[in-house]
Amino acid sequence: MYLYLPVALTSINILVPIGLGLAVGLLSGLFGVGGGFLMTPLLIMFGIPSTVAAATDSNQIVAASTSGTYAHWRVGNVDFKMGLYLLAGGFIGGLLGVEGIKILRATGNAGFVIKITYVLMLGIVGTYMFIESIQSMRKKKTEEVAVEKETRISAFLKLLPLQTRFEKSGVTHSIIVPLFLGCFVGILAAIMGVGGGFLMVPIMFYILRMPMHVIVGTSLFQILFTCIEVTFLQSYTNHTVDFTLAVLLLLGSTIGAQVGAIFGRKLRGEQLKILLAVIVLVVTVKIVFELTLSPSLLLSQAGGH
Amino acid sequence: MQYLRQSKMVLALLTLVLLTFLCPFADDAYGELTAKANHDHITIDSFYHGSTVSIRGIADPGMDLIIKVSSEDTHQSLRRKGKVGGLLWMTVGELDIDRVPNVYEVFSTKNIYDILNKDEIDKYSLGYQAIERHASMNVSGEDRTKWFNEFVKFKEASSLYSTSIGKISFADKDGKQSYYILTEWPYQAPPSIYTVTVYAVKNGKVVETASDRILVEQVGVVKSLATMAHNNGAVYGLLSIIAALGAGFGVGLVFTRQGGAH
Repeated sequence: MYLYLPVALTSINILVPIGLGLAVGLLSGLFGVGGGFLMTPLLIMFGIPSTVAAATDSNQIVAASTSGTYAHWRVGNVDFKMGLYLLAGGFIGGLLGVEGIKILRATGNAGFVIKITYVLMLGIVGTYMFIESIQSMRKKKTEEVAVEKETRISAFLKLLPLQTRFEKSGVTHSIIVPLFLGCFVGILAAIMGVGGGFLMVPIMFYILRMPMHVIVGTSLFQILFTCIEVTFLQSYTNHTVDFTLAVLLLLGSTIGAQVGAIFGRKLRGEQLKILLAVIVLVVTVKIVFELTLSPSLLLSQAGGH
Repeated sequence: MQYLRQSKMVLALLTLVLLTFLCPFADDAYGELTAKANHDHITIDSFYHGSTVSIRGIADPGMDLIIKVSSEDTHQSLRRKGKVGGLLWMTVGELDIDRVPNVYEVFSTKNIYDILNKDEIDKYSLGYQAIERHASMNVSGEDRTKWFNEFVKFKEASSLYSTSIGKISFADKDGKQSYYILTEWPYQAPPSIYTVTVYAVKNGKVVETASDRILVEQVGVVKSLATMAHNNGAVYGLLSIIAALGAGFGVGLVFTRQGGAH
């Protein structure tokens, strides 16, 4: 059955967005990522204009992350305190990132710098997570891995002022740390035009030393607020949110997020990490192909990511 | 004298009446060309997935026909991709193209470049080359044709531009020739008023034209949502967010009750 999308001005088989929503919602509930890096290009592939695809995806992520946050909150896997600090940092970073992109554009090769940074960052994060997870799994004694010796970074972080205890995550950090890291991801997310979940999850694990299951719930909590802001701004300024498409997507993604959360609890932290690393690496390879293979069309609609 | 004057007046009057009758046929004395789109009001509701439009009419035998379906000329802005550093395909700028139709379909009995001369092609904007000559673009020289061809490829991929030869069928009707074509109306074509123009062609020239129009408009829920999204973005955005939050919580509650979250 086909439904007409009033803002996208196109018609779509309802099984397509529901299926996409289900798949990306599953990833969202499982890994705590919004999934925009997958959903937006897939929607464009199915004929949705890029501007509408990006804006509507934010709207459906609101639903998927609400569903996912709720599922993780029910089992005590959301660190609201940490989430709020990261969110505040992310908000400041978003504003700085918007200014940063203006400077990059003024210098000329903004697109080139952004794409290369994006690919490198995805590649490095994915490869590091993959290798580290394999090593952790080989050690098998996960308890020992958790109580690692202090690294130079963690020693430095302990020297910072305004230390506070994050009970849910079982860690103590200066409030400057989540604010700074949130800001860093916010800047990159604004420049690259993506949500930043794939960067936030590894940062929470490797730098903030949070348990993997709490990371997923907390990341979803943060993504929820970011996407509420983006949905409103896109509706208000660009008029590019397609409500009909968002409803079809969220029909799948809300259920997918719940199923993902259930699956996630059955997997160990290392298993979750290695799966996320594989997905990040697959996305990296996909972008590399897009950048190097000749496109069938040399024109695309203006706007979007 | 008065009789002579009256006779002259009657003669002048008769000449005028005769000229009035003869004028429509004075050019080449061709018969009447008609055009009628059977589905001239297409409504876009929630389950719309395109439509079919048939165009039929009467034409003199021996004429070639060209049928053009197009929207009004508009401005289009698109992103251009190109190779950066000789290796990576990236967005390298924008293509601004003005005075081109958003939707353009041409059906003809023969290749239009074989049956029409260039002046006539340009005069009636028939075929992609005529559109290119008429368009205003932010690129020039060799790049102009290259990027216009890319523009046509982009439009054809969206089913908004097409040309075809030989799809018009003919039948004899009371000594005249009736023509007919059935075409798929693309769901990608946005709401607008489209013009159907039929050109009768002989000896390299358009000798007659006839036209009709197709109105495509949104109705019901589709119209309400589109209007709200454009005219009341803030409320539309808030409602979209509330609906998403509600759906997320709703599904969460259902799963919790079914024991999914425990």
